[in-house]
Amino acid sequence: MRVLDPTNEMKATGVVLAPRLASFEGKTIAIITNAKEGTKGYFTHLDRLLREAGAADVVWREKSNYSAPMDAHIVQELTNWHAVFTGVGD
Amino acid sequence: MQLSIKPPLTSKAYEVEDFAAAQEFFHSRGWTDGLPVVPPTEAAVEACLEWAGMPPDQLLGIEPVRTQPITAEKLAVNAVMAGCLPMHFPVVATAWQAMMKDEFLLHGVTSSTGGCAVLVIINGPVRLEIGASGTFNALGNSDRATSVIGRAIRLALINLMDVRPGEVDRSTLGHPGKFSYCIAEDEEDTTWEPLHIQRGMPAGTSGVTVFASLGPRQLMNEWTTDPKEILETFAAEMRANQLHYSIYGGNYVIVIPKQLRDIIQGAGWTKRDIAEFLFERARVTRGEWAKVGKGSVVRDRAGKVHPALQSPDDLLVVAAGGPAGGFGAVIPPWMGSKTRAVTAAIGVCVDCEPPKP
Repeated sequence: MRVLDPTNEMKATGVVLAPRLASFEGKTIAIITNAKEGTKGYFTHLDRLLREAGAADVVWREKSNYSAPMDAHIVQELTNWHAVFTGVGD
Repeated sequence: MQLSIKPPLTSKAYEVEDFAAAQEFFHSRGWTDGLPVVPPTEAAVEACLEWAGMPPDQLLGIEPVRTQPITAEKLAVNAVMAGCLPMHFPVVATAWQAMMKDEFLLHGVTSSTGGCAVLVIINGPVRLEIGASGTFNALGNSDRATSVIGRAIRLALINLMDVRPGEVDRSTLGHPGKFSYCIAEDEEDTTWEPLHIQRGMPAGTSGVTVFASLGPRQLMNEWTTDPKEILETFAAEMRANQLHYSIYGGNYVIVIPKQLRDIIQGAGWTKRDIAEFLFERARVTRGEWAKVGKGSVVRDRAGKVHPALQSPDDLLVVAAGGPAGGFGAVIPPWMGSKTRAVTAAIGVCVDCEPPKP
């Protein structure tokens, strides 16, 4: 019996990550949160670590819908930052 | 004489010894929902595509977040596995096209810890053609068509979008509708306008509505002939969902079987009348959270009113269920208005007929 593969063999092409920063010294770092309760403590701690590591500024942005991709106005800001941390919390 | 050249299927093919070997082959690769599957042979997949008049490489859509392309061939493979006959496939394909609309938020609803399933509601003449029943056991396994169509939605999510538990599917609990969640409206036994027509599809068409939703909350009120009292029970169930699950408003489906339907429609109430009544009655204040153990999130907004429906248009009333019993069901949204129900007309091929069996 010959059967067919049910999976998606046309995988979408991924994105290429920017080069890794050598250090956070003097850099502007963004934290993009889904705004759920569980993110607050984690990202607040990360904010402190980044500042201790010499970041010039740490800016926070919240997604308006925690289950959707980031809002267009946040995407437009991406080029203003040297690196971005993002993640989900519950 | 015109020669027709059948486009080839491009899915990778595997040789397996027999039906039993096929089961182990598919289960071992994580390609099933845990139940046996129909082996997707080339002949079975081609039959689905021929019935729908779709070439294998027809792009049904691209999932907006992860940009995964969904082709007719791959969806047909999964439909066959679910047990679909060729005549079921156009319903599956239309449902998937609806699911890929931005407002459905496919990635969010299938990856959320909230654990919803995709409810499929079938309307129009296609119900009768495929034997989709809207009467006895409407929310259970009422018939072959709704069982396999609902299952095809889930199998395709597993295999085309990697929506497996612990992978993209991060559901904490999920619910049994994740095996199959499909109903047909009992249009022959109601005076109400079919759901898809109410939602803008042209008269005479068949339609599919998809709704990312929780499990049904069953209610009972067979002790009144007053439509308002019956609908108060539905409103109370919606309020309970707001307090116990999510307070935020969005689409809700209510399923009204014949016994209660006869009372409500006999009194002259339309689906719109029901929606306007429930829009007013199904609402809670944030302060009520304190009565169900959620006092810590009331904060300084105890008086804020949260309607279950953002407008009467948010309510989807479905006439379905067996003939006896004063029951009904409320089917809440996954999470307020973050996802929206989507209705689409099932494509018709005006110059062709399905192939003869």
